[in-house]
Amino acid sequence: MPIMMPASDQMVLNRRDAIVADLRAIVPGEGVIFSAAEMLPYESDALTAYRQPPMVVVLPETTEQVSRILKYCFDNGIKVVPRGSGTSLSGGALPLEDAVLLGLGKFKRIREIDLDNRVVVTEPGVTNLAISQAVAHAGFYYAPDPSSQIACSIGGNIAENSGGVHCLKYGMTTNNVLGCELVLMSGEILRIGGKAPEQAGYDLMGIITGSEGLLGVVTEVTVRILRKPETARALLVGFPQVEAAGECVARIIGAGIIPGGMEMMDKPAIHAAEAFVHADYPLDVEALLIIELDGPSIEVDELIKRVEAIALGCGSTTCRISGSEAERDLFWAGRKAAFPAVGRISPDYLCMDGTIPRGALPRALARIRDLGEKYGLGVANVFHAGDGNLHPLILYDANKPGEMDKAEAFGAEILRCCVELGGVLTGEHGVGIEKRDLMPHMFSEVDLNQQQRLKCAFDARGLLNPGKVFPTLHRCAELGRVHVHSGKLAFPDLPRF
Amino acid sequence: MHIRDAADVEAAVRAAIAREQPIEIIGHSSKRSIGHAMATNAVLDVSALNAVTCYEPNELIITVQAGAPLDDVLSLIDSKSQEFAFEPMDTALLLGARSGRGTVGGMIGAGLAGPRRIKAGGARDHLLGAHAVSGFGDSFKAGGRVVKNVTGYDLCKLLAGSWGTLAVMTEVTLKVMPKAETGRTLVLRGLDDVTANRAMTAALGSPYDVSGAAHAPHPALRAAARGALARLASRGHGATLLRLEGIVASVAHRATALAADLASFGMAELIEDAESAALWRDIRDVTPFAADGALGAWPVWRIVCPPASGGAFGQALARETGGEVIYDWGGGLLWAALPPSVDAHAVLLRQRLAAIGGHATLLRADEGTRRTVDVFHQQEKGVAALAERVRLSFDPKSILNRGRLTRTSIS
Repeated sequence: MPIMMPASDQMVLNRRDAIVADLRAIVPGEGVIFSAAEMLPYESDALTAYRQPPMVVVLPETTEQVSRILKYCFDNGIKVVPRGSGTSLSGGALPLEDAVLLGLGKFKRIREIDLDNRVVVTEPGVTNLAISQAVAHAGFYYAPDPSSQIACSIGGNIAENSGGVHCLKYGMTTNNVLGCELVLMSGEILRIGGKAPEQAGYDLMGIITGSEGLLGVVTEVTVRILRKPETARALLVGFPQVEAAGECVARIIGAGIIPGGMEMMDKPAIHAAEAFVHADYPLDVEALLIIELDGPSIEVDELIKRVEAIALGCGSTTCRISGSEAERDLFWAGRKAAFPAVGRISPDYLCMDGTIPRGALPRALARIRDLGEKYGLGVANVFHAGDGNLHPLILYDANKPGEMDKAEAFGAEILRCCVELGGVLTGEHGVGIEKRDLMPHMFSEVDLNQQQRLKCAFDARGLLNPGKVFPTLHRCAELGRVHVHSGKLAFPDLPRF
Repeated sequence: MHIRDAADVEAAVRAAIAREQPIEIIGHSSKRSIGHAMATNAVLDVSALNAVTCYEPNELIITVQAGAPLDDVLSLIDSKSQEFAFEPMDTALLLGARSGRGTVGGMIGAGLAGPRRIKAGGARDHLLGAHAVSGFGDSFKAGGRVVKNVTGYDLCKLLAGSWGTLAVMTEVTLKVMPKAETGRTLVLRGLDDVTANRAMTAALGSPYDVSGAAHAPHPALRAAARGALARLASRGHGATLLRLEGIVASVAHRATALAADLASFGMAELIEDAESAALWRDIRDVTPFAADGALGAWPVWRIVCPPASGGAFGQALARETGGEVIYDWGGGLLWAALPPSVDAHAVLLRQRLAAIGGHATLLRADEGTRRTVDVFHQQEKGVAALAERVRLSFDPKSILNRGRLTRTSIS
C-alpha cells in the first residue's frame, strides 16, 4: 500500500546538481553519493516494504561537517533524513525524494572508556554490541540489547529508545544514556548532559532519546556501563495453555522477582524455531517461557528454585534449567533466531510491535488468534513477556494479490487492540512511518499538538525527518490552538496523511 | 476556585491565561521554599486531587492523582511490599517543614531521588505516564501505563524535575518495584574524602550489586543530632557506607565478598536490617544538615558531578569555605552545608564545578539569598536558549510558576 509522504519540493529538486556541489564542498572525497546505483543501499531501512531513493546521500566524518551540512540545508530550506545503520523496523530512516540523507556510519570511534565513572563516550556509528565488547576486558557491559545489536548503531538506539531482553531489569536506552553532543537543524552544536548521573535543568536528554531523528542529530553519546553479573542461568518452561504461561509471568513478578529476561513464544514460533536451530524445545506445548536469572551464583540458585516452584504451580508440563553456559545459549538460540526461523515457513512476514499490560496477555493473544482467522493469515507470536511487549509475526505472501494489504490491516488491528487493552502502539521499534497514521488512536489532537510544539522548539522550520511519527504536518506558527470552524480545520492545504 | 478534577484545573489555567495572571501551583507546599521567589499572585492548589486511581501490584504500576499525599501512597505500596525504587527524599527535615512529605505531583515535579538513584534511576525513570494541563490551558496526556513504550515523544521525562513550569500534572502513573527482602550496610571508618571516593568507586564497579554508596566525614556526621547517623558519629571517625540489598542468602554472600575486596581500605563493620535502613533514610534526607540542627542556619547545596570526581571536589570545597559535605551515590551527589555568606559561596562553588562537569542547586537558603543567587545552575547559552524554547512550547505566556527557575525571568 503506498504511504503518503510530504509533497516533494520541485524547487529543491531542480537545484539538485548545485546542492550536490555545495555538499561536496563541505564533505570532500567520497562522502557525497548521488548516482542512482550507489544510492540503492540507502533507499530503505529494515522496513523494506517501503522504498524511496534519496535526493543525495552525504556521509560526514566530523561534528563540524554535520553542523555545516545542517546549516546549509536550514538556510536553503532542504529537508534532511538522518540515518544510522538502517536497522530501524518502522521506516524511521526512509528517505524522501527531495531530502538529503545524512548517514552517520563514519562516526565509528569510541572516544573514551572511563571505568571509574562507569561510562563510555562514543560516536553514534559504533554498534551497540561493540560498546560491550570494548569494556568486556574489565568485566563491564552496556545493558540495552536490541536483537539487532550486532549491527544497529548506538545513535540509532538513541533515536528509537531501543530495548531488548535485558530491559525488564536494566531499562531501555533512555535509562542508560547520560549525555550527548547534539547538532540542531540550524547547525548549532550543543552538549546535553555528560558524565554526571543527572543533568541540570529540563531533561533534554530524555526527550531526545526516542525522538526518531526529528529533533536533532546526535554526534557523540555518553552511556553508562554496568558490571557484568557474576552468573546467569535460564529456565525453559513449557505450558499446555497460553493463559497458564501468562499467569506464571504475573506470579513471578508478583513474588518480587525481576528476571534478567523473560521471553515467551507461542506454538507456531516454537515449531519454527525448533526446526531452524534444533534447541530441543518441547513441541507439545502451547507456550514456552525462557526465564533468565542473573546475579551472584548463590542468589541465582535460590531464585531458580523459586521460579521453578511458581512454574509448577501454574501447571508447567516441562521445565529445564540450564546447567552450563552452552545449555543457556542453546535455550536462547531459538528465541534469538525466531524471526529468521519464521521467515523459512512463510514467504513474507510482518513483524508488529505493541505493548500491553502483562495481565492482558491472554486476552491479547486470543484476539490475535481471532484476527488471524478473520484475515485468513497465520501468525506466530514471539515477545518480551516480562514487560508485555508483543511481536506478532503476520505470515503472508506478497506475490498473492492483496495479501500484503490484508497483512497490514491485520497488523493495524493488533496495534489498536494493544491500545484498547491499556497498552501502546510501539514498545521498541518506534512509530516511523509504519505506525504514524495510527497515532490518533492513542493520542488526541491536543496530545499530538503538544508533541509537535516541542518539535518546533528544536526544529522551527520542520526540516528534520518530516513525514515520520506525526500523522499531520504542522507549521509551527499554527500550533497555538487548533480551531475547527464549521467542521473545517485551519490550514487545509497542509498534508494530513 | 475549588479544584475537583482535571477539568477544573483546565478552567483555572484558562482563566489565568485570559487574565494574564501567572499562578503558583501547590500541593502541600512542602517544597515551596525551593527556587526563586515567584512572580505570581495567585495560587492553584491541586491537593484535592488526591485519589489513587489504580494500583495493580502484579503489573508493578500505580496511577494516582497528582495531589495524593506521598506518605499515603508509600504506605499503600508498602502494604504490598513494594516501593518507589528511586527512594524519593523527604525534604521536611532539611527545609524545616512541619510535617509530611508532600504530594506525588510535588515529588515528580522536584525529581529528587535518594541513594538508590545510581542503581535504579531517578524519578524520571519511574514516571510512565501523566495527564497534565499545559500553559495553553489544554489537558494532554503523555506516555502510558506500560514500561516499554516508545510511542511519540517521552514528555514524561520533561515533566519530571520541571518544578511545575511546563504543565500542571493532574494524574501520574508510576512504576513500583518489589522491596528487597533484606539490606545490610558495610561501614568503613576514618577514610578521608578522596580515599572514601576510591572505595565507593571500587564497590560500585564490583559485581556485588551495591545499591547505595555514601560517605560522611566526621565533622558532618557530628552535626547529626538524632537518628542512625548520630549513633555512628558517637563512635568517632567519619563513615563510608555501602549498601547491599536482596534476598537473605545473596546479601550475606555479597557482604562477605565485598568486605574482602575492600580490605585494603580497612576492616568493614556490618550493620543489619532495620538499623541499615535507618542509616540510608538519614543519608537520603540529609539529617546532619537538618534545619533545626547545628547547621540549620547554613545554606545547603545539592551538587551533582561525575562520581569519581566527587571526593576531591568536596574536600576542596569544604576546606575553602569552612563548610561540611556529605557524599551520596558514590560521590555523584554531594550535599554541602556552607557557612552563610553574601552569595552562599555560589561563585566559588560553580567555578570549581565547571572544571569537572557538574551542576549545583541551592536547595536551602533564605529568600534574600535566593534573590541574589541563581538557585538552579545556569546552563551554557545554547542549551539555555533551547530549554527556554521548550518551556515556551508548553507555556507561551509563562503562566505557570513564573520565575521559579531563573532570576532573569522575574524581570
